[in-house]
Amino acid sequence: MRSFSREQLLRAPVRGFLRGQGFAHFATELQFYEYRIDVYGYSAKRALTVAVELKLFKWQRAFEQALRYQLCADLVFIAMPERVVHRIDRDALLAYGIGLIAVASRTRCWEAVAAAPSELLLPSYRDTYRRALTRTSS
Amino acid sequence: MKKQAHEAPRLFIRLGTHAEKEYVEKTISFLDGLVLGANLFEATPGATASLIVKFHGSAKGTPVIVDPMTYAYGSYIDQDGDHRTDLDWIMSDQNLKKADAVKQGKTHVRAFKRSYLALAQAFGGVFADAVDKQRAVLPDDLSSKATVKQTALSVLNYQRLRAQQELAKDPVFSDVAEHVPRPPFLFAPYFYIDRASWRAWLDVTIALARAAAELGGDDPVHAVICVDDDFLENSSFVDAIVKELPPTGVTGVWLWFSKFAEELAAPPRLLAYRALVEALCAADLEVYSLHGGYFSLALSKLGLCGVSHGVGYGEQKDVVPVIGQSTPTVRYYLPPLHRRLGVPDIQVCFKDLGISTAEDFFSKVCDCVVCKGVIGGDLANFSEFGDMHYSTTQSKRMAQTPASAKRCRYHFLLRRLAERDWIRGATIADVIGMLNASQAAWSAAKRLDRTNVTQLERWAKALA
Repeated sequence: MRSFSREQLLRAPVRGFLRGQGFAHFATELQFYEYRIDVYGYSAKRALTVAVELKLFKWQRAFEQALRYQLCADLVFIAMPERVVHRIDRDALLAYGIGLIAVASRTRCWEAVAAAPSELLLPSYRDTYRRALTRTSS
Repeated sequence: MKKQAHEAPRLFIRLGTHAEKEYVEKTISFLDGLVLGANLFEATPGATASLIVKFHGSAKGTPVIVDPMTYAYGSYIDQDGDHRTDLDWIMSDQNLKKADAVKQGKTHVRAFKRSYLALAQAFGGVFADAVDKQRAVLPDDLSSKATVKQTALSVLNYQRLRAQQELAKDPVFSDVAEHVPRPPFLFAPYFYIDRASWRAWLDVTIALARAAAELGGDDPVHAVICVDDDFLENSSFVDAIVKELPPTGVTGVWLWFSKFAEELAAPPRLLAYRALVEALCAADLEVYSLHGGYFSLALSKLGLCGVSHGVGYGEQKDVVPVIGQSTPTVRYYLPPLHRRLGVPDIQVCFKDLGISTAEDFFSKVCDCVVCKGVIGGDLANFSEFGDMHYSTTQSKRMAQTPASAKRCRYHFLLRRLAERDWIRGATIADVIGMLNASQAAWSAAKRLDRTNVTQLERWAKALA
């Protein structure tokens, strides 16, 4: 089992995982008011946006941020190293529809908890980001 | 408790910069007073003096009070916790003229900010000495009665005459100069009571208050107690204030507990604050909060006369500001919680609170004219209270747009005025009941961090 020393090291495997889920357009450190969304993706094929908060340890903080990201993304995940995901309160994630990605290595992730479609989504936020992503990334 | 001469709570707005003038101009006739820092006066003397004329001439004749800011010349504790007597916090790096730069072999120099230098020179005495020596005023500098008297007189006269003197220089205003009303009361000189030598500083504060009260003549004089917030729970300190301040002859006292954030304060500190207010009121003093928020307004039900704060911020103020931080975001003031929150932090609560339309928002959050104008018929427009942009082409991070900050400030001012008016007509039981009702309603907002709500319960208990 690999240990990750920095949050940014989680980014590449998570993007790889999301690519496998059909997400082709990405932004990193996307500013959402005073927050920064670590990974934001868009899948034209699935007509879905996804936001992911990366964290090495403090899942409660990630959870609070993830709740806010439900305003601007269809699906929201927390991504953490596989070795710490057992510490996370899965019932809390399930209650609010937040998904969980376990990062096993620099090339492998798996979905520990599925994300439910956001009930808080505000289309104006999502559409702004979606347009920006399709203009600037591939 | 002393019978209050004015309807309480009184609301004073503190003008931080002239850029904030427009907010005050639009609300001046609803305010109970305007507070101007003397450093602002010295930074822009002409503009400040004409502002005083303008506001005194408003329909209501709103009084303007000058905070002499004398604490700026005392010792202080910096952000690293170090005791400082070098006055560095009122200095800045200033570019040298080309010839001087060549001569001195450097491009800039650390020097006093122009406004604080001018203010020290206007006060003279220990203040002028302090900037000359680049060393803070210390208790020993005010050990003689003659020095205390001279210091008090110069600071009182500054507040009495500064506007007149400035206007007299201007041919356009020279006729009105002598008719400019004096402030309704004057502040005695005051310093930050630093913990390392609080007894000595309190002696100085009391001596200056006594001297100012004697020299005040027909002008009422108010003292300022400026100290760190943990001193609220220092019984020796509190007992000393309650015992020694009333006999000085000042008619009022403004409390400034540095770092005292009402919404974060634990019950013992809130109770200590209440007890101090009640004790000083019982001693027949008018008691005010120099940088207060909703809890202070609510304390008017227990004797507090009024509160001052800034335009959209300033309900809590540290004696020494944090230097080098970027311009803070003006967050939306959430009336049911009486605190500021970011736009997404509020939007995530809507579903749990059953807010799905603009009408829901107006009935459950705020129906001020600013909110109605911004939101209109579409709740999604609430996001305009947090609009962001890249302020320059070099910006790496988005910042709040000026228009968004303006919306938040106007909304805050209107709500604060409404809160003041409501509290005036309410009983203490009404205030407690409203806090408890808001706590119950907003506890349903499961996605909101509990710490944003629990102040309501603490305040209610501290007022009960």
